[in-house]
Amino acid sequence: MSNAAIIDAASAEALDPSDFHSGATPIWCPGCGDYGVLSALEHALAINGRPPHEVVLVSGIGCSSRLPAYTSCYGFHGVHGRALPFAAGVKLARPDLEVIAVGGDGDGYSIGGNHFIHACRRNLDMLYLVMDNRVYGMTKGQPSPTTEADWDSDIAPGGLGLRPFDPLALAIAGGANFVARGFSGRPQELKDLIVEGLRWPGFAFIDVLSPCMAFRSEEFGWKESVHPVARTIEDDRAAAHAAVLAEDGYSLGVLFKDHRPSLPARYVAQSSLSEIEQQFAVCR
Amino acid sequence: MARSSLSVVFSGRGGAGAMSAGELLLRAAADLGYYGLMSRLFGAQVRGGEAAALVQISTEPVTCQPDRFDLFVALDWEKVDQFASEIPLDENTVIIADPQSGPTPQSIARSKAKTIPFSMSNADATPLERALQSKYTNVFAAGAVAALTGLPADALQSALSAVLGGKSATVTRANADTLAAGIAAADTLDLDLRLAPPHTAPRWLLTGNQAIAIGALRGGVRFVGCYPITPATDLVEWLSPELQNLGGRLVLAEDELASINMVLGASYGGAPAMTVTSGPGLSLMVESIGLGIAAEIPAVIVNVMRGGPSTGIPSKTEQSDINIAIYGGHGDAPRLVLAPTSVRDCMFTGEWAVYLAESLQTPVIVLSDQTLGQAFTVIDPKPDRPTPLARRTTVPDGPFKRYAIASDPVTPMPRPGTPRGQWVGEGLTHNEIGIPVGGAAAHVAQLDKRARKFAQFDPGPLWGDVWGEGDTVILTFGSGIGPAQEASRRLAAVGQQVRIISLRVLSPLPVEALARALEGARRIVVMEQNHGAQLYRHLLAHKAIPPSAESFARPGPLPFRPAEIVAHLG
Repeated sequence: MSNAAIIDAASAEALDPSDFHSGATPIWCPGCGDYGVLSALEHALAINGRPPHEVVLVSGIGCSSRLPAYTSCYGFHGVHGRALPFAAGVKLARPDLEVIAVGGDGDGYSIGGNHFIHACRRNLDMLYLVMDNRVYGMTKGQPSPTTEADWDSDIAPGGLGLRPFDPLALAIAGGANFVARGFSGRPQELKDLIVEGLRWPGFAFIDVLSPCMAFRSEEFGWKESVHPVARTIEDDRAAAHAAVLAEDGYSLGVLFKDHRPSLPARYVAQSSLSEIEQQFAVCR
Repeated sequence: MARSSLSVVFSGRGGAGAMSAGELLLRAAADLGYYGLMSRLFGAQVRGGEAAALVQISTEPVTCQPDRFDLFVALDWEKVDQFASEIPLDENTVIIADPQSGPTPQSIARSKAKTIPFSMSNADATPLERALQSKYTNVFAAGAVAALTGLPADALQSALSAVLGGKSATVTRANADTLAAGIAAADTLDLDLRLAPPHTAPRWLLTGNQAIAIGALRGGVRFVGCYPITPATDLVEWLSPELQNLGGRLVLAEDELASINMVLGASYGGAPAMTVTSGPGLSLMVESIGLGIAAEIPAVIVNVMRGGPSTGIPSKTEQSDINIAIYGGHGDAPRLVLAPTSVRDCMFTGEWAVYLAESLQTPVIVLSDQTLGQAFTVIDPKPDRPTPLARRTTVPDGPFKRYAIASDPVTPMPRPGTPRGQWVGEGLTHNEIGIPVGGAAAHVAQLDKRARKFAQFDPGPLWGDVWGEGDTVILTFGSGIGPAQEASRRLAAVGQQVRIISLRVLSPLPVEALARALEGARRIVVMEQNHGAQLYRHLLAHKAIPPSAESFARPGPLPFRPAEIVAHLG
């Protein structure tokens, strides 16, 4: 081991959650579940062992999408719904980096829904952390794709009348390699899930139940509803899909793990540009 | 007497092989030292629609479509009515058609061109062989025409191999036999198409789309995110395997929203990156182009224009995306918009776009169009290349502020992985560190910072070109330049001087350079291919032309032809 590598290994061991803290004050409401997610993420990153400058956090728009600036990592806060393709671009160009996309249920499942399906299918080695509060919080309380059908709101009095969709079932059907559910009220378990997701090859998706204090205070009752997942299904995608569709939406833990290959990390150069240009030569 | 140029149309139903026939003739001629250009005319159908290859071969460079065609070769008469109006013929045009295809349709016959009957299959073949060979009618016809121009058989056979690529031995053999039969059958045609000897020199044969791709690769692009869209798809189809050969990557995204965001992501990661699209795709990308501008991320966006709005005419040309390229999107979002001035210049402008995006940390839009993009053209490879420029990535001493307000509006953007360089790219109005803020001071400061990048940008002599002299000026861009130059040549031959000013930089408008180029002009005609005079209004808004300047704007899909321009100037 070279001196530099020894120093790297030593500093990696020495990483502390506070090393991942930027010091910026979150805009989140007091009591917001996202504080717990941020803390769990910082602890997980310290355990994961890669220093802040080798981690890139990418987000879209919404309360939870403010998270990258609260860490000391490289980050990008883009437009609504497009965190996943941006993160894919980072990972494809720089497979050496630890790439994490974060955001909310509106950002990821509604405006960004198509990208979610294709990110699962593409199965790049990255983590996607969705802080799912089942409401559009930043625009002050509209139902999202995961909101219960009868949830009353100004824009949909008496409820939207639409069945919420199940992002975990979608992720399994789409092709993600790692599908889990966490809860911001159980930050220790969430930290472990994040570490496992970071280290699992392929696309790791964690839907984190993260209550909204301002518009969905009843979600604080989730701490009574959550329970450990019955079992983690490995490699049998059909069985995992059936199990997720059958569960109550409050099982915490890893629901599915798979070993599906992803795209090649990079291609090896076979020719030079001047060789390639020769195909256009005429009248040599 | 041998002619200096020949224009030929190969026409047929989709799948009849008109394009292969055209490419065979063009490739053989190019290899022998002729210049040439082939435009492709397609209908909307993938198979069974109309298709025509419009080929010109000349001893001199060809930069636009001709006013009329010398020869029209009908591989069949199906669907020809649908594009007859786009193929100008006259009483001096010769039509070659197989009597078995039936009578010449009225849409073609009304040109008063004379038709020569010509059996397009091997006369010596047995009925079975004739049936088998009927699907190679295109090669037979191309062989006959090429032989009449004086192109030797061996050059035609090697061009055929190039056109067929990796087809099976059986197919290759049958095509080669058919080509030989076509060449032999040329003797039965009483037609003199002999070409004067060419000026031979090493040249390139490629499309504008391929030339932009080469430029981007020369500029260092190694990541492309894209979504298929006509007429830009052939660019990325060519590019994908070549990027892989170079150790780069092309990703087929789920849509254009993903394409542009993947490109911004790869660029944030440190890789020069590009997306390629056409009008509808550009519309979808507009929000994220604004993000790239606000967050100051380099990106090259190639837009191969087609007829619009909405789905418009996907396979045919127009220059109607000037407004969206320069002004599209919400908020104040200034950007660089470049337009290649010829197929040859696609290489230069494509490479330059990468350097400008990287060095100014901003999206750069390259406006090409279907006419340039899909024209197979023989060019003299351009010896000059733009001066390489790179992005600033070094972490400065002291506390790092990604969006610092300093004398230089371009501030360092360290690559992720660089210690002490961490920054958060931000699409919200932000302060110097990149933290979102809603106050007036930061908003104005950052708008000023980004505007200064463009105020200080000086393209020097690369802003555009002035060609010819005279106090009558045609001011145009892109695929308008070639036909304008040809019109100017013709007018010069009768003693009328016309100056052609071509813009390579559409935004920020090079107002001072234009003022110098326009000195002494008495009549200024702004020529563009759209209905709303978009370039004209852009120039007027910036007071780059006087109010007395005239607009010559008309929509596509018909290309500008020299005679039309001469007639317009009166």
